[in-house]
Amino acid sequence: MSTSDLRRESDRRRYSSERYATAGASSNRYRSSNAQPKSTKRKKQFSLLSIGKGLDVPFCMLIVLLLAIGITMMFSASYPVALSEIGDSYYYLKRQLLFAIIGLVIMLAVSYVDYHYFHRFSALILGVSYFALILVLLIPSETGIHRWIGIGDYGIQASEITKFAIILFLAHWGSRYYDRMHTLKYGVMPGATVFGTTAFLLLLEPHYSCIVIVAILTVLMMFLSGIKVKWLAVAAVILAVVVLILWATGLLSYAMDRMDGWGKALEPVGEEQIQQTWQTRNSLYAIGSGGLFGLGLGQSRQKYLYLPEPQNDFVFAIVCEELGLIGAIAILLIFALLVWRGIVISLRAKDRFGKLLGIGLTSQIGIQVILNILVITDWLPNTGISLPFFSYGGSSLLMLLFQMGVILSISRSANIEKA
Amino acid sequence: MGANQRLRQRTVWLLIIILVVGFGAVISRLAFLQLVQGEDLQQRAVKQQLSDTSISAKRGTIYDRNGKVLAQSASVWQVVLSPINFEEDSQREYVATQLSQILSLDYEDVLEKTKENSYYSVVKRKVESNERDQVLELMNKLEDEDIPAVIALLDDYKRYYPYSELASSVIGFTGSDDQGLSGVEYQYNDYLTGTPGRIITATDAVGGIMPFDYSQNVDTIDGNSLVLTIDETIQSIIEKYMQKGIEDNDVYNRGVCIAMEIKTGEILGMATVEGYDPNDPFTISKEDQKMISSINREYLYENGYLDETSTASGKEVDKLIDQAKSEAESAALSKMWRNKAISDTYYPGSVFKMITLSMALEENTVSPKTKFVCNGYFQLYNEKIGCHNTAGHGTQNYTKALCNSCNPAFIEIGQSVGEEKFWEYYQAFGFSEKTGIDLPGESDDLFFSEDGTMGPVDLAVASFGQNFSVTPIQMITAASAIANGGKLVQPHVVKQILAADGSVVKNISTDYKRQVISEEVAKEMCAVLEENAINGSGKNGYVAGYRVAGKTGTSEKLTDSNGDFVQDYIASYCGFAPADNPEIAMLVFFDTPLGGNYYGSAVAAPVFANIMSEVLPYLELEARYTDEEAANVDTTAGSYTGLSVSEAEKIVNSDGFDATIKGEGTTVVAQIPAAGSKIPTGGTVVLYTDDTSINEKVTVPNFVGFSLSDVNYIASYYGVNVSLTGTVNSSDSVSVTQDVAEGTLVSPGTVITVSFSTSGIND
Repeated sequence: MSTSDLRRESDRRRYSSERYATAGASSNRYRSSNAQPKSTKRKKQFSLLSIGKGLDVPFCMLIVLLLAIGITMMFSASYPVALSEIGDSYYYLKRQLLFAIIGLVIMLAVSYVDYHYFHRFSALILGVSYFALILVLLIPSETGIHRWIGIGDYGIQASEITKFAIILFLAHWGSRYYDRMHTLKYGVMPGATVFGTTAFLLLLEPHYSCIVIVAILTVLMMFLSGIKVKWLAVAAVILAVVVLILWATGLLSYAMDRMDGWGKALEPVGEEQIQQTWQTRNSLYAIGSGGLFGLGLGQSRQKYLYLPEPQNDFVFAIVCEELGLIGAIAILLIFALLVWRGIVISLRAKDRFGKLLGIGLTSQIGIQVILNILVITDWLPNTGISLPFFSYGGSSLLMLLFQMGVILSISRSANIEKA
Repeated sequence: MGANQRLRQRTVWLLIIILVVGFGAVISRLAFLQLVQGEDLQQRAVKQQLSDTSISAKRGTIYDRNGKVLAQSASVWQVVLSPINFEEDSQREYVATQLSQILSLDYEDVLEKTKENSYYSVVKRKVESNERDQVLELMNKLEDEDIPAVIALLDDYKRYYPYSELASSVIGFTGSDDQGLSGVEYQYNDYLTGTPGRIITATDAVGGIMPFDYSQNVDTIDGNSLVLTIDETIQSIIEKYMQKGIEDNDVYNRGVCIAMEIKTGEILGMATVEGYDPNDPFTISKEDQKMISSINREYLYENGYLDETSTASGKEVDKLIDQAKSEAESAALSKMWRNKAISDTYYPGSVFKMITLSMALEENTVSPKTKFVCNGYFQLYNEKIGCHNTAGHGTQNYTKALCNSCNPAFIEIGQSVGEEKFWEYYQAFGFSEKTGIDLPGESDDLFFSEDGTMGPVDLAVASFGQNFSVTPIQMITAASAIANGGKLVQPHVVKQILAADGSVVKNISTDYKRQVISEEVAKEMCAVLEENAINGSGKNGYVAGYRVAGKTGTSEKLTDSNGDFVQDYIASYCGFAPADNPEIAMLVFFDTPLGGNYYGSAVAAPVFANIMSEVLPYLELEARYTDEEAANVDTTAGSYTGLSVSEAEKIVNSDGFDATIKGEGTTVVAQIPAAGSKIPTGGTVVLYTDDTSINEKVTVPNFVGFSLSDVNYIASYYGVNVSLTGTVNSSDSVSVTQDVAEGTLVSPGTVITVSFSTSGIND
């Protein structure tokens, strides 16, 4: 390498690190007409129709692997229920496969979209998600629980958009005001406001498990953005107070019902409580029956109508029964690799927004996996947290693969820059 | 620290929290559940996944000692609904209508069952084959009409008792779940029940079969069968005569008879009469039903349900009446089921004198030379204890004292033994403990005190069996010990337990307990008791040709069971035969005879004799008659028809009868009595030689109220035969009944049974 080469290299590094550091603060440059040359160049590279190189192959393969295992296991878990309730063993499989294919197409499509578009529309998307949360409240519901927007069987859970919108908005905010994140006004207030509003709307649905996830995601994003740790402590205290107040006012009654049987799934209970603990109890039976090596693929017994809705939140219980601890750990390892790879990709992003967005979206998967398994093992109350790639559900699968597309888009930017 | 650096650092923290803490917690939780708790959880899961269908085992058969079936289970069916499979109400109504008709059930009740949300609802149990065939037909019809499987027929068993009331208190009965509730059915329930089989299949949560090869069958093991020591023939004889005794003597509170094989303790017969029909054990007698339905306000006052001054409303009174009725019904049932032979206690009375005398002989406190003087009472301090013979029995040795059943003499004998020894022997004879007979509900005795201490008056009255209570089974067990050379054995009713295939599971052998008295004393006691049965107070129990030994007893009851304010008595007779080598002991016991005579000698002894006179020949014990007896012994008439007159006459004579020939023919065409009937040796057989003579009739005279010789004379005068039963050979025997009424026209030579008794002998 010649001296001039070295110099050019050091210049480039210096420049890029400058730009890098100021990426958040100067985000309005995407809207300004006098965009800098580098930015123009990149924009070209990320044009919607450009089919470039740089997709992170390991991450992509982990997604496809998880999706394959997930759909297989969902099918195995669901076929007795599908046969008994719908009369078609393949009902859930067919629909999930369809959504997976659509989702993969969406994922690939999104990976070609410059994620900085989301930067621009983050506030708008947050607004749309709020609108969706309000809209579901207006849709009449027989159960008194308002979660779905859509017609008939086809719909989307409003909260799926919310989770993405919050990560997106906080990544946007954290990258834009990265230098002021230590302050109360810029570091804490926006996050607190967004969380407060979201939590309020989710309370009305009600959808407590989503509040928990949103809370974790908010804290996580603010923590990454660089706020002072003491504010997190303050937030914890405030949260505790709020929960206490809700408790006292009885607004938690729905969640309380579900929490009644929490941790007591194996204890003998009366007729009334067995309704609440039945699902968790049979989940534990399934997990325990698996032992170290499992009963073998397709050999679950608990899925024969003992475990209600084995295709949804409790699909992993059937996985544990059929594949044993070995299989469960293997799947968890793939999840861990996915999280690891996602974070590695995100850290390679050239701007702070990409890093924050990527880490946030990746972490969401890790967090949902942990919470889901803690629910099915009776360490958390049964409140409805699905397992990414495994649980049946068209809209959430589409949303998930869309988010994976965003991460792939981030990976592509990093790789392109490198190339 | 720069913003990027902080981000990297915080990302590392985040990774640690998610991957190490989060995933670590998840994996350790899973490992705990799958490895540590796995077995337990799997067991719980398997438990709920397996459907366990039980197949009832067939309850074992109960046989008598000769293999006759006393209780048997036969196949019946259970009709079961799976109401959850109904699709619409019209189906429910249709099935309910059909089933209620076939099974004669209430339509509303069945309809109610069709609406249950279950897979299994029993509609009717113990359905017999005719009803089952109709249900099968209905099931086929439903299948044709595409109504899903809603009815099922399951195997079930029903218990049959072919001999109905026979030995009901011993055999017992079973409840609706085939469980023994009383008698050996209860005592040996575990043996009889068997092991229900099971079909275990893996099923899903709603009872469907899972596609796993997971089914396992456990074979049904049918129950063991029991061979009782009871002999159906002996039991029938016992019940026949006990029933007669109860009717003849107007017995208020039922009677008990126990027959025991002396050497083995096997109970050959045990009856509480009247019993009940174990095929229908919950139906009380008509009188009881009548009494219960007549319960009214007065009954409530009389029985303390209601105070005379009470102002209870009509509704409350009705409620009390219902309560009184249900209480009266359960009292009637438990009275009906009660095996008095082991559950009732009574003062043994004079029967106990055989025990008192055994003690004294064993302790050598009396000898044949010891004289006992009876003046009609015994003066004990300030108390005068009377003898039933107020004139006094005069001077007697112990044999005479027992034959007279003299109370003062036995007070002396008791005193010679002393309180301490008396208690010792009381225990040794097994009165202080249950006999341990293999039947439920055996009672304990009731002595003066738990440790055997007794006052002088207690000893005095105890010597003749008053003021302490024992059970009939204890009494006969003790008497058997005397007959058995002093060896006490445990009575039992089950001889053998057999597996369903007939192989022997268990033989129940004789449980020898102890030597109570020496063989010599026992032998002497047999002689004394035989003398009593021949010439003493026990002679109404004597059976001609068999050396019967026995003792009568008449005991006072503490309670006035029938409420007539007259002292109630229990009349009993306990004896054994043959005296020189005793085989069978028997106790006959009537509780509260109201027929005028309540003495054991008058009420119980004749029944004892009647039973023994049939049982002893049945046991193939050889009869050895005295000459006097031989004259009155019945012989079986042979068949003489078809023979020439002279030949027939010769054979009739050689059979021990006189022949009277009627008619002009040369061949015998008919005979009276018929071939095979019993007539006394020396009786007359009328041989007819032509048809015209057959229509000749004679009038039956009165046979009642005469001595033996008079009866024989009357019989020959009128040309009829008499068969003699009862106490025939005693000097004071008097005929008391005849089985063909006076004035009846009969053919000459007809056998008329005349029974004899000695007039009520006090004991």
